[in-house]
Amino acid sequence: MPEIVKDIKIENKLGIHARPAARFVQLSSRFSSDIILKRGEEEVNGKSIMGVLMLAAPQGSTVKVIARGVDAETAMEEIEALIKSKFGED
Amino acid sequence: MKGLTVSQFYDTLKEKLRLRLVAGEKGLKRKILISEINRPGLALSGYIDYFANRRGQVLGKVEISYLRSLPPAERKKRIGAFLRQKIPFCIVARNYLPPEELISAADRIGIPIFRSALITTRLLNLCTIFLEEIFSPHTSIIANLVEVYGVGVLIQGKSGVGKSECTLSLVERGHRLVSDDYIYVRLIDGSYLVGEGSELTRFHMEIRGLGIIDVRQLFGVGCVRQRKRLDLAVTLELWEREKEYERLGLDEEYIKILGVAVPHILLPVGPGRDLALLIEVAALNHRIKRMGYHAAQELDRNVRELIRKREK
Repeated sequence: MPEIVKDIKIENKLGIHARPAARFVQLSSRFSSDIILKRGEEEVNGKSIMGVLMLAAPQGSTVKVIARGVDAETAMEEIEALIKSKFGED
Repeated sequence: MKGLTVSQFYDTLKEKLRLRLVAGEKGLKRKILISEINRPGLALSGYIDYFANRRGQVLGKVEISYLRSLPPAERKKRIGAFLRQKIPFCIVARNYLPPEELISAADRIGIPIFRSALITTRLLNLCTIFLEEIFSPHTSIIANLVEVYGVGVLIQGKSGVGKSECTLSLVERGHRLVSDDYIYVRLIDGSYLVGEGSELTRFHMEIRGLGIIDVRQLFGVGCVRQRKRLDLAVTLELWEREKEYERLGLDEEYIKILGVAVPHILLPVGPGRDLALLIEVAALNHRIKRMGYHAAQELDRNVRELIRKREK
């Protein structure tokens, strides 16, 4: 089972509040791979709104994204692109 | 309804307004086209310009006393001029005896004259409330209406998606059925909507495989309600894999009915989803939002606050 791990920096000004979290889970839910987010000690399910919100990741912080499954590669590409696009915010 | 006849008005309100027809029977098929009621004091005193002749007329103490004070010839002339304006009907309040001239002219011209035992103000109020209801904008919708925890929930969705089963589940849990598959909706005061079923099929439902059931007979009178304000609309839809459904509930969505925006929720139907439970929760969430607590906004606020603290 392919597993890809990547540290990605949060760039949007307000960090991962509700709307970016929703966009994140909407995207990650499209893949069959497990998506896991880690920030410090905390590890959450990247397909769960509550999980992603719990991270409360501010601008400038880094989250570790783990994609595990057959479509892990595409998943990681698109997730990275979403975070880099600042979730369509400032 | 495009206007109603005086006869329909009489049949419906006979008891409530304690009405008796005293003259002008041949005018019972006259049409009432507007909801306003008029007191014709000025017209009776001779000033007939701008007289609101399309309105039903109510004669109270003032009008009757004034007419009695006139010499008979003058009284006859004024009443004649008044009735020739083609008014739909005239009610004499407080059981006053209508002047003889009013009776004979009304019979001749064919304008129904009623006597009511009610006092004038009460009579005016009841007439106006009834007629405004008749003349209010209305439409009909193919949907179910259930009162859930006091919230009027309109349940829409394509045939076969499970509207009726879901409604039945709600009723079984003690909520109240207003109507199945048809709702007659009226706009009240230009600001809110009230729905009810049709008189004939009221409280009946058709359940695939069971046929027609009578909900009031089966579940009791506590499980039905004749009419209810429309507070929330829920559309049931078969879960489409590719479609993205609301995950946050931060934004309110609305549908428009008769120009009124009704909060709307699109609820995907999939295996293992207890629709009745979801609608109960939607109704409760609607109530708590109306009371000023919005869970999604509150949690988002807390998350943002924590994010800000962490930035420092």
